[in-house]
Amino acid sequence: MEALPENDPIPPVRLYRINAGSCNGCDVELATTASVARFDVERWGCRYSESPADADIVLITGPLTVRVRDKVLRLYGEVSEPKVTVAVGVCPISGGVFRDSYAVVGPIDRYLPVDINVPGCPPHPRALGAGIAKAATLWRERCGYTQPSPELASPGNYDGDAVAPTGLRGKMRFNAAACVGCRMCEHVCAGGAIRFDETDTGLHFTLWHNSCAFCGLCSHYCPTKALSVTDEWQMSHLQEDKYRLVEQGVVSFVPCTDCGSILLPVAPELLRVAYRETSREIERLKTLCPECRQKQSIGGIRR
Amino acid sequence: MSTSVIKLGPHQLALEEPMYFRVEVDGEIVVGLDVLAGYVHRGMEHLVMKRNFYQNITLLERLCSLCSNSHPSTFCTAVEEVAGIRIPARAEYLRAIADEIKRISSHLFNCAIIAHIIGQTALFKTVMEIREIMQDTKESIYGNRMDLAANCIGGVRYDLTPESAAYLGKQMERMKGPLDELYRTYATDQAIRTRTEGLGILSKPDAVNYAVVGPVARASGIVYDVRKKNPYGAYDRLRFEVATEQGGDVRARAMVRLREAREAVSLIEQCLADMPPGAIYADTLPEIPAGETIAKSEAPRGELIYYLKTDGTDMPVRLKWRVPSYMNWDALQVMLKGHSVADIPLIVNSIDPCISCTDR
Repeated sequence: MEALPENDPIPPVRLYRINAGSCNGCDVELATTASVARFDVERWGCRYSESPADADIVLITGPLTVRVRDKVLRLYGEVSEPKVTVAVGVCPISGGVFRDSYAVVGPIDRYLPVDINVPGCPPHPRALGAGIAKAATLWRERCGYTQPSPELASPGNYDGDAVAPTGLRGKMRFNAAACVGCRMCEHVCAGGAIRFDETDTGLHFTLWHNSCAFCGLCSHYCPTKALSVTDEWQMSHLQEDKYRLVEQGVVSFVPCTDCGSILLPVAPELLRVAYRETSREIERLKTLCPECRQKQSIGGIRR
Repeated sequence: MSTSVIKLGPHQLALEEPMYFRVEVDGEIVVGLDVLAGYVHRGMEHLVMKRNFYQNITLLERLCSLCSNSHPSTFCTAVEEVAGIRIPARAEYLRAIADEIKRISSHLFNCAIIAHIIGQTALFKTVMEIREIMQDTKESIYGNRMDLAANCIGGVRYDLTPESAAYLGKQMERMKGPLDELYRTYATDQAIRTRTEGLGILSKPDAVNYAVVGPVARASGIVYDVRKKNPYGAYDRLRFEVATEQGGDVRARAMVRLREAREAVSLIEQCLADMPPGAIYADTLPEIPAGETIAKSEAPRGELIYYLKTDGTDMPVRLKWRVPSYMNWDALQVMLKGHSVADIPLIVNSIDPCISCTDR
């Protein structure tokens, strides 16, 4: 594309929304970015378009159902090049809570190139704004505009005046030192975002934010609160970082102080839940494997 | 008679979700309608049987985001029924608060869309701004603007501290003026009345025939509200009027929703005043025996029914719904007949259809 003169007025970036079978949460939140003053995308030099042919940025919501697939792909094809594609919410990114259904064919990047992902369930309008602002910058780059729009001049502006809203359920955080390996979090996670891998050295915890519904149920059922909800909402990222958006931790095995067999360390949080206060006896027994503990505490039971 | 068939999609219908209509028209006048559904079919019946009860709380909250609290709370009620769990009184009130907060937001969103369709852009933005008071409230108390994550089996996951209860009370106080003002505007503004009065009429006999529910039924003079008819949770202890209208038109449906939103504010205030102290859930990890049950509630769009069958494992053997929008879609046949094609978006949105609920 020809380089444009430096001082040409920058035209607005036009956004087009495609619903690929969403629960409407992301769509209702996108509606606020067109109607509520504090979230208005016009701040980023953007406006919504009613027609795919008049669009520069495509915003896709929903897990991509079998039935909607062809319609989505047709609409997407009608958007002229160059375009920037944004996956809004965890559904188009990973399938979210709807993954593994016969009726869902996503993630969307199996069918079309995604540029930016905005995780969330649904993402906060400010997160949507930040993702859209990134997309607008990318689109302007692709078109050869050398001069950034004033709103986007400083990257800090992406977040605008956004401090995390109080009490927001954002990214989950894992504290390996408090984990007892009960795997209740994995059990209650609707999106299958949590995985445990056992190796010789320990228990490896992985949580993929792009599959997380941010419901906090894992934290609710975690007996030692090794998982906690943070108010971190700013998670929009480039497609190349899609699989790097993880929370990880390792609970290293420790040897039994008597027989040397390996065991998961006893987290102080667990002792607090179980006994409220610990005694010297408990402190001594906690470094033993279950078998040695049994032997030492009640002299062993003959089986 | 020479008729032709036109196909309308979400953009022409002013819907947030993909739904297509095959409309038979005689000139500009609608004579027949066929709804082409299934675009938001995510295989929920299959998915819920692959997930355990805990996972289903979160999954079902995403069955539909506008009535997102009604689904998990009704599901948890069904599970509790099977397990013979009686949830603490405080939890009953906290569930009612969550449901009513969602009802206000949901009704206001529909009210905004109606304004948008009739070209009242300033009013549309005003309603969306008023709705932000509710969005902020949800975010501050529950941590998300759409999905509250309020429920767990045996009760609720959140509690109100004296501070957060006071905040909620203050936010409700802030809603009263704007809601009263909106009611007056929709009731008296000449431009709105011209566009909504006498449009998309569903007579009381037709409403009975089509077994419509929720605000659609109540706008046609049917006094039916699950909260009154089969009180669940705290509703037998709360005082409220079932909002009804006789007109059966687009206007009547909007008026019912606005009155219900105002009534919901009073319900939340009653909950705050009457809520006893105590536990918020009965048991953390209850055993769910084999059994089957039906639970129902009044979701923002009407009567929501859950059928649950369990076999003693921690996954449902069967979970089936009857969602309110499903009953209301069919009545569009009556509402649209004889109206001009240009009125389709307004009439369709007047039933506040939820496609993700219908298609699942």
